[in-house]
Amino acid sequence: MSRRAPASGVRRYVNAVNLGGLAIVVLSALPLYWMIASSFKGPGEISAAPPSPVPKAATLGNYAEAFVRNGIGRYLLNSVLVASVSTVAVLGLSFFAGYALGRTPLRGRGGIMTALLMLSVFPPIALVVPLFLLERQVGLLNSYAGLIVPYVALNLPFAIWIMRNYLAGVPRELEEAATVDGAGPLRTVLTVIAPLARPGLFTAGIFTFTATWSEFLLALTFNSEDGHRTVPVGIALFTSQYTVPYGTLFAGAVAATLPIGILVMIFRRSIVSGMTSGAVKG
Amino acid sequence: MTSSAPASRRPAAEPAGPPPVRPRRGDGPGRVSRRRRARTGWLFASPALLIISAVTVFPVLFSVLLSFAEVRLEYGGFSIRSLTGDHYAAVLSSPEWRQALLFTFGFTVVTVLLELVLGTAAALVLERLGAARGWVLAVLLLPWALINVVAAQLWGYLFNGTYGGLTWLFEQLLGHQPDILGQPASAMGAMVVVDVWKTTPFVAIVVLAGLMLIPGDVYEAAEIDGAGTWTTFWKVTLPQLRPIMAIAVLFRILQAFGIFDLPFVLTQGGPGTATESLAILGYKTLFQNLAIGRGAAVATTTAVIVISCCLLFLRVFKAQADEGGRA
Repeated sequence: MSRRAPASGVRRYVNAVNLGGLAIVVLSALPLYWMIASSFKGPGEISAAPPSPVPKAATLGNYAEAFVRNGIGRYLLNSVLVASVSTVAVLGLSFFAGYALGRTPLRGRGGIMTALLMLSVFPPIALVVPLFLLERQVGLLNSYAGLIVPYVALNLPFAIWIMRNYLAGVPRELEEAATVDGAGPLRTVLTVIAPLARPGLFTAGIFTFTATWSEFLLALTFNSEDGHRTVPVGIALFTSQYTVPYGTLFAGAVAATLPIGILVMIFRRSIVSGMTSGAVKG
Repeated sequence: MTSSAPASRRPAAEPAGPPPVRPRRGDGPGRVSRRRRARTGWLFASPALLIISAVTVFPVLFSVLLSFAEVRLEYGGFSIRSLTGDHYAAVLSSPEWRQALLFTFGFTVVTVLLELVLGTAAALVLERLGAARGWVLAVLLLPWALINVVAAQLWGYLFNGTYGGLTWLFEQLLGHQPDILGQPASAMGAMVVVDVWKTTPFVAIVVLAGLMLIPGDVYEAAEIDGAGTWTTFWKVTLPQLRPIMAIAVLFRILQAFGIFDLPFVLTQGGPGTATESLAILGYKTLFQNLAIGRGAAVATTTAVIVISCCLLFLRVFKAQADEGGRA
């Protein structure tokens, strides 16, 4: 077959790569579709023996139930607050730390970066006990700060790693020009470096936001009181009854997945490009 | 100090030569500004470093102390009774710990291998996809962005013994309704399936990032040499991907070894203790039995094993990479 021969109709699209792409889409999306479809099914249909792929009598009852009776709205608000404050704090701190470790002649940089890598690998279960006891002692259990502080600390090492690698690639001349013009270090960093760092900040931000939005172990043990529960804990505790109210559960789950799903769709390119820059200069 | 990268990330062919020549400290007119810049550096880095130390370094040391102590929880606080508790001997000799270690280890090996193979395949597909690539990538990333607990509940529904979609599918194929989460072997299999579904996207984006870094002329050279698709993959693509694959595997080993939310929600560690991970055992010891010292010992053993595994992996990987560089 010569390269220029026009492949006709369907055949043009049937090849290993496109089939692979189709398999990726189907395998990734089918369980999610099932969850969304089930969130619109009534109580009888959700546990019907041959399951139906499309809700026969679509209802919004589950959503009403999830928000009114199960207070998923409160958990969502808590999660939005905890995840966004943590993300903003991580971005601010990691930007300055990344700049310091990537662009200033700070002694012991190599050691600090290695220590950060080791810290980012520490299993959270090893931190739960001491942090629980400390927070209990100072009265931080069941508070927003009680989750935000550890979330910031746990997500900082990876974010600093990304920011440092990103900023290390910015040409030095730009900064020197600003310094010659008489700008102080803080102004130079904010006016010259920060705008250039945007892609790195997006990557670090999306990784931090997804991680804090999903975090379960600390949220479960530190904020067990209903008023401060985050979404993952709220959803996990749906099972504590004898039968799982799957319809309501999935309505809550869809509401919890929407924000993160939209973020991933918007920033999908930054996620890969951030990994690339991390790999080049890591 | 420019060589801050872990040794494994260095290109294999580069010998560990003398460090590059740097201007001596205190040379020339840059002297004052250099010192001032270093001070700025410390000023900028210290808030982040302080909070990391306060929340991780200090608690880790505290946890090791607790693992040797008899701790009593009191109203609103706790007290350390004595430092004579020998929790390690009790933990290491307990059948629960051995069972949890075995499950966690097996789970880690199986899922990481599967995710590496499937994630690489997905990355190769994505790299070659045309216009649809952005959208396929977005859909692939959705399971990764899904809350773990939601994923566990969703698959729990699909595996449900009476009306789950997958149970129904198996019934059509096998002729009887399998109790997927009720049998130890199939419950472990289900756990692997969910984890692979959830985290293969992570491996795929890391490997995709690596694929995009391979210079095109390497492939041109292979084509001129007349190498086929498979030969090109094994001899050209794979060796170039090794460093970035090592990073993906490292992150995955760590995450899989600390797995908590998935078994906690999907099977509660059951049936029996078939899917009880080390993190679940630690949690139960701490918050259900309220045995703080013993729980701290479980947590510390987990951390020690995970970090040893990583160091071992890095060492083996580096040895292989060095050998490959010489060949």
